[in-house]
Amino acid sequence: MKRLMIGLVALAMIATACGGDDDGGGTSLLDTVIERDEVICGGNETLPGFGVVDDAGNFSGFDIDFCRVVAAGVLGDSSKVRFVPLTAEARFTALQSGEIDLLIRNTTWTATRDGQEGANFLFTTFYDGQGLMVPASTGFTTLEDLADANICVLTGTTTELNLTAVFNARGIPFNPVQFEDNTQLRPAYEAGQCNAWTSDASQLAAFKATIEGEGGDEQFIMAEIISKEPLGPVVADGDTAWAQAVEWSVMATVQAWEFGLDSGSIGSYSGTSPNILNFIGDGGFNPTLGLPSDFAVQVVSQVGNYEEIYNRNIIPIGLQLTGSPNDLWTNGGLMYVPPYR
Amino acid sequence: MATETPFTHIDPDTGIAIPEVDVPSQKLPPGEWLRKNLFNNWYNSLITVLLTIGVAYVSWRVLRFVFVTAKWEPVRENLTLINIGTYPRDEQWRVVAQVLIWSGAAGLGIGAAVAGAKFRALQAGMEYVVDPALAKVKRYSGLLLLGLVFLGFTKTFGPLILTVVSLAVAYALYWVASRVAGHNVGLLWAGVAALMVFGFQIVSGFFGMGWLWMGVPIAAAVYSVIGRNETIEPRRLRLIQIGAALGVLVVLFVVYLVVDSVGVEWDEWEGFHLNLLAAAIAIALSFPLGLLLALGRRSSFPALRIMSTTYIEIIRGVPLISLLLMAQFFIGFFLDTRTPLSLFTRATAAMTLFTAAYVAEIVRGGLQAVPKGQTEAGNSVGMAPWSVTRLIVLPQALRAVIPAMVGQFISLFKDTSLLLIIGKIEILGAREIIHGQEAYRGFGIAETLVFAAFAFWAVSFTMSRESQRLERKLGVGER
Repeated sequence: MKRLMIGLVALAMIATACGGDDDGGGTSLLDTVIERDEVICGGNETLPGFGVVDDAGNFSGFDIDFCRVVAAGVLGDSSKVRFVPLTAEARFTALQSGEIDLLIRNTTWTATRDGQEGANFLFTTFYDGQGLMVPASTGFTTLEDLADANICVLTGTTTELNLTAVFNARGIPFNPVQFEDNTQLRPAYEAGQCNAWTSDASQLAAFKATIEGEGGDEQFIMAEIISKEPLGPVVADGDTAWAQAVEWSVMATVQAWEFGLDSGSIGSYSGTSPNILNFIGDGGFNPTLGLPSDFAVQVVSQVGNYEEIYNRNIIPIGLQLTGSPNDLWTNGGLMYVPPYR
Repeated sequence: MATETPFTHIDPDTGIAIPEVDVPSQKLPPGEWLRKNLFNNWYNSLITVLLTIGVAYVSWRVLRFVFVTAKWEPVRENLTLINIGTYPRDEQWRVVAQVLIWSGAAGLGIGAAVAGAKFRALQAGMEYVVDPALAKVKRYSGLLLLGLVFLGFTKTFGPLILTVVSLAVAYALYWVASRVAGHNVGLLWAGVAALMVFGFQIVSGFFGMGWLWMGVPIAAAVYSVIGRNETIEPRRLRLIQIGAALGVLVVLFVVYLVVDSVGVEWDEWEGFHLNLLAAAIAIALSFPLGLLLALGRRSSFPALRIMSTTYIEIIRGVPLISLLLMAQFFIGFFLDTRTPLSLFTRATAAMTLFTAAYVAEIVRGGLQAVPKGQTEAGNSVGMAPWSVTRLIVLPQALRAVIPAMVGQFISLFKDTSLLLIIGKIEILGAREIIHGQEAYRGFGIAETLVFAAFAFWAVSFTMSRESQRLERKLGVGER
């Protein structure tokens, strides 16, 4: 009797454990998102310029705007997006487990991440690079000046790996001082616990502006950039339909910029350019991307074109668009999208 | 010093004489007390002086920080963010209604407890003694202080009005409840449960199927109310009871089918509100679960015993953080469905399961402390085994473990800050957000941390005082 009971219990447990595995597979996340009528977007809620929250609980920032772009493109409403704040360590797990549909969290596209993390990196929205910031009073201008220096860096990021690789290659000895996030790193840096702070130049610019704005010491960002940091949206591997929908929604912002259309003018376009008419869905053209024919109009009229998004979020933290890699290809930048035809 | 000690007492069990001990008088004049306790020899005097200087210096620095140097703007400007995170602001009335409903339930509950105590005192022919108001203020000093600090930081009169109204609601319901005749106390408690569960759920919103669980207490209440009818033949009455209870569940399910997805998702609950709700729900659920596990582990039924023991040992061997991470991610990996339950539900479930294992071991400790003779005495007068457990063993066991249990619950409450790790914006998450804002980047970092710590302290301290009162009332450590 005893044994029978134990057997039955074990059987029941096995049956429950197996029960969940039947569904799933086959359908694209695109259908799930449309059915749910909401995009779940993993992001950063503490990075000035890219993702912040105001006292009324509203998210804003460059990355946040691209989450809205996807919601506008796929669902026709840029407000149908839920933001999930993620730590740097948890972001890929969240993507793989289906906890989020989309990851836009200042995430660098690297071969390892593309290969091992089950992540599919899409159109790069921001070309960043790792720089080093030092207090201007130190007079340091080159990496060689930083011999035996303490360098503040975040753990678990590509920044930490780049730092070690570049300094080791040049034979410059240094001591990394590691932190979990920037809210801990900044006071340590200002207190003089480290001689330099390395991070993406965009982040350093933001912190330089705040530190100086609050009356802190004058800061100097070294001209030398020690890495390529292409940042962009990421989706889980193996779902082409969803990846295409996200990528073309995002690229529509650059295409609109190239066409000279912004949030004010795209809805009232009255020209005759067939390319633009196709783009705004008036030409009877359907590339079967799984997006509504007017997705570009929704994206640009609700969120803006790339330039507007950049001006709204990145200009205030002190990084210029003109002359940067993020300028349009016709202006000598890297923002180049495949033709919409 | 060979003074003869008079034998004043012979222990009846051992026959050993116990010398009378000179018990020092408890009340000394202040000067005498100081000399006797703090300055009774040179090194004690030195220690006293040094400690006084140290404490005074630290207190002065802390007070200077809190009242003079600290910049509280990040807290003041973001008070709403700290309290409810990014909860949709046009749905904020739901939070207000939650506060009113729970303060009403608290008033009703305290009133019911007082009415019950009065009734029992009357039956036992004793006089019911009311707690002096000062004792109550002392007991809730933590929460009162937190409330005052919050109100001090507010920019509008809304929160003040809410505080006054909720206190008024609580007091009104307390006044009514404490005057209800004793035998209706059961109904009062049903009212408290209905308010806390049903009322709370109504104002929070019917999102998804999760709220259906509240049908169970309602069905149980209907069942018990109908059972009071003595004019119907018992067998038929039982059928009517079961029918009505099932009817309630069916009606609720129909309501669910009609009004699906109205309101706010549980995942929108953020800020300190999230800490409080997650802790409250996890405490309320982990206690009964832990109780069952403890009884299961001591059960003579092997399957039950093995399952309970396995559960307890596995859960106790795993850090809470890993359980939370599993709750966040593993459902997606194991079940291959996309977020079937809200992250809030999964995280609260993880905390409940975790705490239940600890509660089970605490309760088991209490159960083992009850002498076997108690059970045997119950059995020998012909009580059923379950009645023996329920009426004799459990009350003694639970009374003995109140301090440990409350300690576990306090630690559970503080552990809700771990929700930060899985990306929930609880109070510490709100703090990180504040320092991401343009105006407060790296500004007032210590202040916001001190504020969050104070909020945790206020609630934990109140829990601790409440448990001390309960201990005194039940005479733990005296009997």
